[in-house]
Amino acid sequence: MKELLKELCAMSGAPGYEDEIRQRIQEHIRPYADQMIVDPLGNLLALKKGKAPRKAPMMVCAHMDEVGFLITRVTEDGMFKLAAAGGVDPRVLVGRRMEVGPKKVKGVISLKAIHLTTPEERKQAPGLDTLYIDIGASSKKEAEQFARAGDFATFDSRWVEFGDQRVKSKAIDDRIGCAVLIKLMEEGVDRDTWFVFAVGEEIGSRGAKAAASFIKPRWGLVVEGTTAGDVPGVAEHEVSCRQGKGAVVSLADRGSVYDRDFVRRLVGLADEQGIRWQYRASMNGGTDAGAMHLAGEGSQVFGLAAPVRYIHSASNVLYWPDAEEVLKMARLVVKEAEQDD
Amino acid sequence: MELLETIRSLTDVYGVSGDEFGVSAVAAELLKPYVDQVEIDKLGNVIGRRSCGKPGAKKLMLDAHLDQIGFMITQITEEGFCRFIGMGVDQRMLLGSELTVLTKEGPIPAVVCCLPPHIQNPGDNKKSVPIDEMALDLGLNGEQAKKLVRIGDYAAFSEEAFALQNDLLCGKSMDDRACFVCILLALEALKDQELDVDLIILGSTKEEVGGHGARARAFADRPDYAIAIDVCHAKTADSKPGDRVSDLGGGPVIAFGSNSVPRFARRLTEIARAKEIPYQIEAIPAHSGTNAWAIQTEEGGVCTAVVSLPLKYMHSPVETLKQSDMRQTGRLLCEFVRSFDGNL
Repeated sequence: MKELLKELCAMSGAPGYEDEIRQRIQEHIRPYADQMIVDPLGNLLALKKGKAPRKAPMMVCAHMDEVGFLITRVTEDGMFKLAAAGGVDPRVLVGRRMEVGPKKVKGVISLKAIHLTTPEERKQAPGLDTLYIDIGASSKKEAEQFARAGDFATFDSRWVEFGDQRVKSKAIDDRIGCAVLIKLMEEGVDRDTWFVFAVGEEIGSRGAKAAASFIKPRWGLVVEGTTAGDVPGVAEHEVSCRQGKGAVVSLADRGSVYDRDFVRRLVGLADEQGIRWQYRASMNGGTDAGAMHLAGEGSQVFGLAAPVRYIHSASNVLYWPDAEEVLKMARLVVKEAEQDD
Repeated sequence: MELLETIRSLTDVYGVSGDEFGVSAVAAELLKPYVDQVEIDKLGNVIGRRSCGKPGAKKLMLDAHLDQIGFMITQITEEGFCRFIGMGVDQRMLLGSELTVLTKEGPIPAVVCCLPPHIQNPGDNKKSVPIDEMALDLGLNGEQAKKLVRIGDYAAFSEEAFALQNDLLCGKSMDDRACFVCILLALEALKDQELDVDLIILGSTKEEVGGHGARARAFADRPDYAIAIDVCHAKTADSKPGDRVSDLGGGPVIAFGSNSVPRFARRLTEIARAKEIPYQIEAIPAHSGTNAWAIQTEEGGVCTAVVSLPLKYMHSPVETLKQSDMRQTGRLLCEFVRSFDGNL
């Protein structure tokens, strides 16, 4: 699954511009999908048939999009101005390499040299309004040969394996979820299951809402990358999950309240099977589970995630053994969800 | 000479001021084909000598520094993170970046910790975080980290050089490895040509912390003349009207002032005009911020000049230059050396 994740992370997929990542996922699942739909929003919905149908639909969801940027304007001197698509701290942009537009033209974001600034100026973090991408163009006309207002930009961040079984890349949030879904489809399922690769999660679960309204799931599983807080600067009581403690299981967040009995039964089974898991000790954030939770008559949802450090930056960091536990847990949930009914 | 490839061979290796031996070895190999002899001294300076064979010939030193800006590890925490200090780096370009820690076992990747917006407090993203409040994630636990990393180990920006549009190259340590390549370009063009001066090619060390390497070589090699070839600031989109910047693509920048002696600088402009090499002028009244400062006062005094390569985003991981500027700088050095009889 690591090679698969590496390949998926290299694809671009800013919210609204998920074409490249979707095409790559389609190539992977084509042999295993019994039905594939690309819906009007760009979601990829794939039905995987099992030995038997379910009493009611189950939807497994991961989002294809990554935090990215929209080009808002090309300046007279050939620089690209940006708006964020998804929640990004502008401070993680300075000094980064970027890919601009469908041609993935290389560019950089930086600041004028330290020598030309005062200590006072260096105490101010630059806002997104002052930053720009430089691709080397010297005029607007030249720059517009490569990308225009309305095109997107993403981090250009290489895949690095380092430390103790760590991987670093952009977009591990949520290509790890996509990789897990592809693996599950490859392995096959006992009962019919919808796998949804959603668009637009980072700007408010737009894709998952539309997909859930189509599938009307009775059971839902979301596979995410969530903030690992086991880093300096986070108070002990604010650490929602840690790397090395396994798959992260949600109890509640801003989008969903996860059915306590459902969750307890599944983590009980996980314990029996020796799957390492931890609760997500936070109410912050929301995921596509919220969209499934509220679709149709409402569904029982399970929120599963890998603990990922530095999400929404160019350097997402994952502890690989956690990814293996997420896959095991996802497999268990897909197998056992229906037994509740 | 393929510039990106040559630059990569120099910028893929590390040499933060104080421990330049890694890059010195590569620089020495690159220099070998163009000089009579190459040595690496105890400071890590690379010295190449090319004699013109004429008795009493004057000695001309061409200097570019090999050291790069970087960081130093100050603490390894129980959880396996490192605290560090910066050496010449703007703190605003570090959060979420990849660095390379230079350990006794070799270079290892690391990431500068940053908190995602989800767990920040309102207004946090407007605060510029001082480097001493940052931490470096090695992906190791405390025990593993302490075994591998020591207090005092260096770290530097990561990732290799690459091309942007419009003949531009981008990456770390262009300051000042790109200028060492400019000297190589000049030497390549001067191959097998008769000269009237002896050349001392210096790939110097510790420029970023005060020019100690170049000072030592000026003392030891006693040049009559020296040109410090270093980078200068090219205009960027966020430059202010008062910033002293040059144009990227405008050719080499010839400095005038007490550290870039006017009669020497003037000769360089004359050569540039005669050979139709585009050039720019920079006025530097006192310290040039280059090795010319350290070299100038050694051993009874050395006649120094400063020639600069325009560079955008200096001291960042994405220093950006234009290849045509490198080629024109190489040409200017070549044409000057070819015509120079040892008298200004």
